[in-house]
Amino acid sequence: MKKFLSILLVFVFSSLFLTISSGTENKVEIWSWRSQDAEVWARVEKELNKRGIPVKIDFRPFVATEYDAKVMLALQGGTGPDIFYARRLPGGRTQAIIDAGFIEPLDGKIKFTYFTSTTLKSIRSGGKTYGVPFALQVVGIFYNKDIYDKFGLKEPQTWDELINNCEILKKNGITPFFIPGKEAWTLVMQHAMCGVSILGPEWIRDLINGRTNFLDPKFVDLNRRLNDLKKYYQDGFLGNAVTDQDAAFAFGQAAMVFSGIWGLQTWRQLNPKVNVGYFMVPPLTKDNKPYAYVYMDGAFALVKGAKNRDMALKVLEFTATPDFGTIFSNITYNIPAVLGAKVPSDPLLLEVLEVSKKHASPYVYWVGSVFVTQKPSLYDDILAPGMQAMYAGKITPEELAKMAQDGISQWYKPLMKKK
Amino acid sequence: MKIKWFDLLLFILPAFFLYTIFVVYPFISSIYLSLFNWVGVGAKKYVGLKNFFDVLFGSFKGEFFNAFWHNIYFFILVSIIEVSLGFIIALGLATQIKGYHIFRSIVYLPNVISMVLVGFIWGLILNPQIGLVNQFLKVIGLGSFTRPWLGDPSLAFNTIIAVNIWRHLGFYVLVMLAAIINIQPDFIEAAYIDGASNWDIVKNVIIPLTIPTAQTLILLLFIWSFSVFELVYALEGVQAGPFRSTDVLGTLFYRTAFGGLGSARMDLGLGAAIVTLMFIVILPISFIYVRLVERRRI
Repeated sequence: MKKFLSILLVFVFSSLFLTISSGTENKVEIWSWRSQDAEVWARVEKELNKRGIPVKIDFRPFVATEYDAKVMLALQGGTGPDIFYARRLPGGRTQAIIDAGFIEPLDGKIKFTYFTSTTLKSIRSGGKTYGVPFALQVVGIFYNKDIYDKFGLKEPQTWDELINNCEILKKNGITPFFIPGKEAWTLVMQHAMCGVSILGPEWIRDLINGRTNFLDPKFVDLNRRLNDLKKYYQDGFLGNAVTDQDAAFAFGQAAMVFSGIWGLQTWRQLNPKVNVGYFMVPPLTKDNKPYAYVYMDGAFALVKGAKNRDMALKVLEFTATPDFGTIFSNITYNIPAVLGAKVPSDPLLLEVLEVSKKHASPYVYWVGSVFVTQKPSLYDDILAPGMQAMYAGKITPEELAKMAQDGISQWYKPLMKKK
Repeated sequence: MKIKWFDLLLFILPAFFLYTIFVVYPFISSIYLSLFNWVGVGAKKYVGLKNFFDVLFGSFKGEFFNAFWHNIYFFILVSIIEVSLGFIIALGLATQIKGYHIFRSIVYLPNVISMVLVGFIWGLILNPQIGLVNQFLKVIGLGSFTRPWLGDPSLAFNTIIAVNIWRHLGFYVLVMLAAIINIQPDFIEAAYIDGASNWDIVKNVIIPLTIPTAQTLILLLFIWSFSVFELVYALEGVQAGPFRSTDVLGTLFYRTAFGGLGSARMDLGLGAAIVTLMFIVILPISFIYVRLVERRRI
């Protein structure tokens, strides 16, 4: 009996060991800040298995605000994943990881045939490509078509028309805009998407070159317009989060939101009947072209010395194909960075895709801009608290402009000369 | 009996080992780190005392002192309310009124709820549109008092303090209750025989005899007030909004060391300088306080 038990135990443990070791051999660990991509990776695993690649994808999402620190410390400590979602360049964090030599360049290992040079630029450093870009994000104003139709409203062509729409909605007891003001990043996004249309790309280019600065009356005017818009927001908007916004918008409690195309997946999950439309923030006059804030979200980066490098490369090879883009866009309703993917034949998604091709602002001052690469950052340290302060009536639009100028001129040379 | 030093050392060794690894080493390493610029990967750049200069006199001065005063304000308000309210409730429970066991459990209940859950529950309760607080105010005809409790800069921090009191009050009640129960019954009986009223007994017997406990609680509160983080983080996030009106040194450290939003550069060295300064504030004040309290007892 004793002998039998011993043999049984040896058998159980060896099979357990074999199962574990065979599992780890093919396991590719992926870290991300996007929890909504879990289903994408489950589908990718299935697809690769079908093609005879026995990969097991272990997808681990983390809270966005904790993600970067987690990745950096794990890489430094040698406990990182095989693949991780890298934020786009220019960006202090990804650049630091590249400089420290933790990302393996993918040139010559992955075919980047299906990417435009502009897309690849956002993950290139020193002439090398450090990841496979995954999504283009387009931000703008999303509106409830049913509410707009009910009150005979049209997509505004100018800022004044937008105000007029808000006025009509408010008079009819509808909240024109739902703003998640507790989450300051959404206010920065709002500022940035209004900036590309109202200030225009040329003005932003001049700002980057130091030919103008944040004290310019145009920038102050934009701050003032946004501040004036707050009477069309829901009561207590500085106490609301994005989850409140999603629920309110999906169920028709507000007519419009400043958001990104990423919101569509959530709104449709909450209310499949929600009828959503999109327009770019309208410029001041009809003579001016409206622009959309379009940015490459990030890229899948291969960790240098990854545990399962070969298998991870196979996964990355697949992510650079239109088939991946098709899976990605059909699940997330995001625009894939890879060309040739079959995006869902959703009129809204197709419209946003078209906008991203024809109306993307070439110059920006939020994600993907030089102004967020150092501290104090225009994003975290200036506009995030500054917009909340302005909306709360604690500072004026002029003071917000001064905050931006004082903060950025501490480290950004082209703006140092102008105080 | 002769003390066997080797045996004594053997007993101390496990605790000493753990204390060194989990307290002493991280502490010394954070002081060392505060002399560098480091984003978490790659080489560290030695900058000397520049991080301290930036925090105390440079670009982070505003944020640091804003957070620092919030910690002080938090300590003062929480000490006054939690210790005094804890005492009053403990006094009520000490009278052993009918059902006091149930009251004691109810008062202590929030203490067992995790801070993340507390943040989630109160986030819902304080929601400006659908939250229980505003809905209740509307139902009882006080609709004009509805507020975005966590979105109004003049209310947000006090709201967080109120939630903190709700969460921790039970602990102070239990400690004060233990202190009151430990008072010799003879003292109270003697006072009654001498014709003292209930108020006289509270004022002249119970309060003086529970003051040492209150002093210990205040010292603990001082230390805890400077390490407050989870509740602010759970209710207002890493940005400690609206516009830093709820920022404390804990959230400032977190934001600086581990980054906040998007692609801004983070700096573990700067974060380490903030925690070192926190330590420099807490340690001497705690020492002075303990010395003062001990001297008064003598």
